[in-house]
Amino acid sequence: MNIKTQGVLVLAVLVLAVTSIGTAQAKSEGLVTIYSSRKEHLIKPLFESFTKDTGIKVMYLTGKGGALIERLKLEGKNTKADMFMTVDAGNLWYAATQGLFQAVQTQTLESNIPSHLRDPKGLWTGLSVRARTIVYSTERVNPADLSTYENLADAKWANRLCLRTSKKIYTKSLVASMIYHHGKNKAGDIISGWVNNLAATPNAKDSHVMNAIVSGQCDVGLVNTYYFARLIAKRPNVPLRLFWANQDTTGVHVNVSGAGVTKYAPNAKGAIKLLEWLSSAKAQAIYASLNKEYPANQNIAEDEVVSSWGSFKQDKMNLTQAGVLQADAVKLMQTKDYR
Amino acid sequence: MLLVNHLSIVYQTTQVLNKFDLSLATGDIFALTGDSGSGKSSALRFIAGLDEVQSGQVVLDGNQLSNNGVHNIAPELRKIGMVFQDYALFPHMNVKKNIAFGIHHLSNSEQQARVEELLLMIGLEGIEQKYPHQLSGGEQQRIALARALAPSPKLLLLDEPFSSLDKNHQEQLVLQVRDILKKTNVTSILVTHDKHEATIFADKVGVIENKQLTIN
Amino acid sequence: MSVLALSVAMPIFVVALSWLFPERELWAHFSTVLLPNLISATAVLLTGVGLGVTLLGTILAYLVVMVEFPGRRWLEWALFLPFAIPAYVLAFVYLGVFDYSGYVQVWMREVLGLPGFDIRTRSWAVILTFVLVFYPYVYMMVRASFKRQKINIIEASQLLGASPLRVFFNISLPMARPAVAAGLLVTLMETLADFGVVSLFNFDTFTTAIYSAWGDFRSIEVAAQLASLLVLAAFFLIYFEKKARGQAKYYSTDVSNKKPYHALGIVGWLISLFVFGVFMLSFAMPMLQLIIWGWTSISEEWSAKYVDLIVSTSVLTVSAALITISIATILALPSCCKKNNLWLKGVISMATLGYALPGSIMAVGLLYGINQISAISVYFGAQSINHIIFGSIALLLFAYVSRFMAIGYSSIKASAEQIKPMFTQSAHLLGASRLRLIWQVYLPMMMPGILAGSLLIAVDVMKELPATYLLRPFGWDTLAVQVYELSAEGLFERAAVPALIMVLFGAVLMLIFQLLDKKSSKNL
Ligand SMILES: Nc1ncnc2c1ncn2[C@@H]1O[C@H](COP(=O)(O)OP(=O)(O)O)[C@@H](O)[C@H]1O
Ligand SMILES: [Mg+2]
Repeated sequence: MNIKTQGVLVLAVLVLAVTSIGTAQAKSEGLVTIYSSRKEHLIKPLFESFTKDTGIKVMYLTGKGGALIERLKLEGKNTKADMFMTVDAGNLWYAATQGLFQAVQTQTLESNIPSHLRDPKGLWTGLSVRARTIVYSTERVNPADLSTYENLADAKWANRLCLRTSKKIYTKSLVASMIYHHGKNKAGDIISGWVNNLAATPNAKDSHVMNAIVSGQCDVGLVNTYYFARLIAKRPNVPLRLFWANQDTTGVHVNVSGAGVTKYAPNAKGAIKLLEWLSSAKAQAIYASLNKEYPANQNIAEDEVVSSWGSFKQDKMNLTQAGVLQADAVKLMQTKDYR
Repeated sequence: MLLVNHLSIVYQTTQVLNKFDLSLATGDIFALTGDSGSGKSSALRFIAGLDEVQSGQVVLDGNQLSNNGVHNIAPELRKIGMVFQDYALFPHMNVKKNIAFGIHHLSNSEQQARVEELLLMIGLEGIEQKYPHQLSGGEQQRIALARALAPSPKLLLLDEPFSSLDKNHQEQLVLQVRDILKKTNVTSILVTHDKHEATIFADKVGVIENKQLTIN
Repeated sequence: MSVLALSVAMPIFVVALSWLFPERELWAHFSTVLLPNLISATAVLLTGVGLGVTLLGTILAYLVVMVEFPGRRWLEWALFLPFAIPAYVLAFVYLGVFDYSGYVQVWMREVLGLPGFDIRTRSWAVILTFVLVFYPYVYMMVRASFKRQKINIIEASQLLGASPLRVFFNISLPMARPAVAAGLLVTLMETLADFGVVSLFNFDTFTTAIYSAWGDFRSIEVAAQLASLLVLAAFFLIYFEKKARGQAKYYSTDVSNKKPYHALGIVGWLISLFVFGVFMLSFAMPMLQLIIWGWTSISEEWSAKYVDLIVSTSVLTVSAALITISIATILALPSCCKKNNLWLKGVISMATLGYALPGSIMAVGLLYGINQISAISVYFGAQSINHIIFGSIALLLFAYVSRFMAIGYSSIKASAEQIKPMFTQSAHLLGASRLRLIWQVYLPMMMPGILAGSLLIAVDVMKELPATYLLRPFGWDTLAVQVYELSAEGLFERAAVPALIMVLFGAVLMLIFQLLDKKSSKNL
């Protein structure tokens, strides 16, 4: 046998082996399968703890929200996924409008999670709350000058503002809330004001926004609070502080990460059990400490670092609005050249 | 006037040439013969300035080009022309561009005139626009010769340029090339393993035997 | 063979079919607000990157092949290494080092008192990043081509008085034109499809519009329509590449190790400094940063999971490279398109277009295509095949093949074109059967191209993210997925650990390739 025939044989064996590993999957009642756009390192400890408590195994596939929704849609009735887990209410709302979820209303969920963090029909449930607010340089900004998101459009912040890119879902949801509160015209003016005040091209990441402020490129910015938590964990003396925006008006813009049981879940019972468990005190504490988010279950204490920032008034806009208005928000930002 | 002194070539541990000496007057045509592998090409490549060797000196018209086996002057500055065994015509250039390659410092009309003159001399008028792959072996060989002659080199080196041509054609071409070289009065060294070819082509014939050069 | 090429081209067809579902309103918004700027920005990016990689890749290849200078031997291989780092990781490090808050500018402001600036406002920084990331494509292909140039052609021009620069511009470069064109083509297609680097720089390109149509306006149709324009652009690129190659077929199988130039003394050291500088900037400096990050987080990040990651990455990389390169070889065999078969040639070009599609669009296109096949089979009373195929390894491998066919094909084609018809004819005259001709004449002569193609594909598969992320089966996370998940959450220190393993992995692949390459070029 010459080298080339050997090569062909090896190739054939490889392909066969690989295909068989891929298809040989255990099908078991004690198994919940999840598609998640929440990253692995954030969900794995939760699922491990769940399996320990209940004996139910969890299998998960992480991916980008939009792509996973597309995949779920195409798999239809044949999907293996029992649950879809994602960040941002806009994504949850969209998955719901595409008929990917089934309604789940249980006593446990209703008592654990407040109603404004749940879909009215029970299609999805919020599991953690993230707040997006103002971060400022303690060296160059007097907090008395700060007040609202809208105020950052004021000319006094010219060349002092850093923002995250408009392509990030967090920005889209915030702008959706601006449209919700003020209408498209006024929201458009606010965005124009922000864009005029920018000291740098919008940043790709919240951490870049904070770096830019620390290095003096700009003085104020908007971030999700858990990114700030990560920064001070590494650099406790960083000259930055959070400011709770819009306390005298609409409140701090919040969003959720959450999950829903898929319409064609092969193991809906297991999925519901997992959802309830995720809303429980134990799981919520893990959520709070792992990613320094705010627990959705209001009976749970916040993480120590998080509670040191004090409490704040939340924007009570129903979160489905973030989804409903998302396309308008993006159009508005594109028109106003917020990149 | 070409002087080659004490040229010794050693590859790894085997000695190829030992104290090769040669002197040629301007216009001389010299043929270098010897068995295959006896070091003929190696000697030419050293004279051309392409490879460095163990020892040896090259003096051309009073300029010391190489000494102690090391080159003082780069090949492109030596004014030495060479015709390779496989001609090494530039495949992406037509005949005219090939021949004019070495005289690009001249004006366009001067280049054109020189190309025409050379083509006339080698008997290949009117093929300026053809590409090397469109030519026969004998035609390619003569284009390579014209290209080497275009800048009027002080010394022309020919490394077995006739060996891949058919026999009938060969003798005629050998004589034709000799005529051209005589007309231009350029000092030349032809490397060949063919004794007959050497005698009809050259004024002087040398043989490499036992790593040494003997001139008949 | 048509069937082979057609099936590889499936995502392209799916994307083209999207035009059956027009969406006027969204198109109006896109064409007035976004597209004019995006098209000019994309054109600027392509021009800059194209010029940059051509210059850098070709000059480096020339120096390394034609000139002997201090350190040449290891730099020749070291210059491939940047290719093992995913583009977005490099972009990330560059931003961290060179942007306003990076070390360099902080030093410039504090020590030199210069004003700081935002490197992301103009296009030069993102262009430079792409150039440093993608020059290995051109370098690799052109280097192979320079190596096959006959040394005596260069010596002949030297003896005709040509300076080293003139030899480069008038002899070596024109003869390497097909390779330059091939490397340039691959680079431009990669740049068109890129999402990671441009999002880090917040530089909007055509791909931005595609993702906006899909992600923001939930219109997979408009996304596909926009993507088909991208494919059209790629089609023109391929066309121009073919034209650039023209009739130029410079047959040569020589591989010579003799260097026509020896740069001695100060010139030699200057050349070393330049080449070393490129290596530092494109590899050593980013590596240093990754190592510093990795060092601080290795204990937190390392776990048994990495064994799985490494195994899945290896299996996917090796099998995808083998399958792709086998198909590409079959399509590139000189006997394949002998009779000017236009139809087949067309289909093969189609099959190589997949490279210009952004990975996730291609992946979704694949899912849609399979869904259509299922719909048809359900219509005829058979079963849907979705649940068997979705999330199977076969589909993921198919996606890789579809996406990376262009690299394999173009690098093999370049070496197939070096086979003189003379060899085929003499083998026929010696009574060789067609099969023997392929085994004993074509394949060995195409081997340098096959090896180079395999290496490029393997490293590209290892780095591939969007298609892997969407299509992989349960439990088949790769190193690239791990890098992405961690860095997307801002955990760059931890992301450095899988990134470093990837580089190591890539270096091993290159080492294997180097050994094979040496062996195969000896036989020629
Ligand atoms: N670069 C080289 N390295 C090692 N040996 C060489 C090299 N070039 C030539 N040789 C050897 O030197 C000898 C002379 O070669 P060459 O000058 O080409 O002979 P000729 O032209 O007379 O046939 C041969 O034995 C050849 O194998
Ligand atoms: Mg010889």
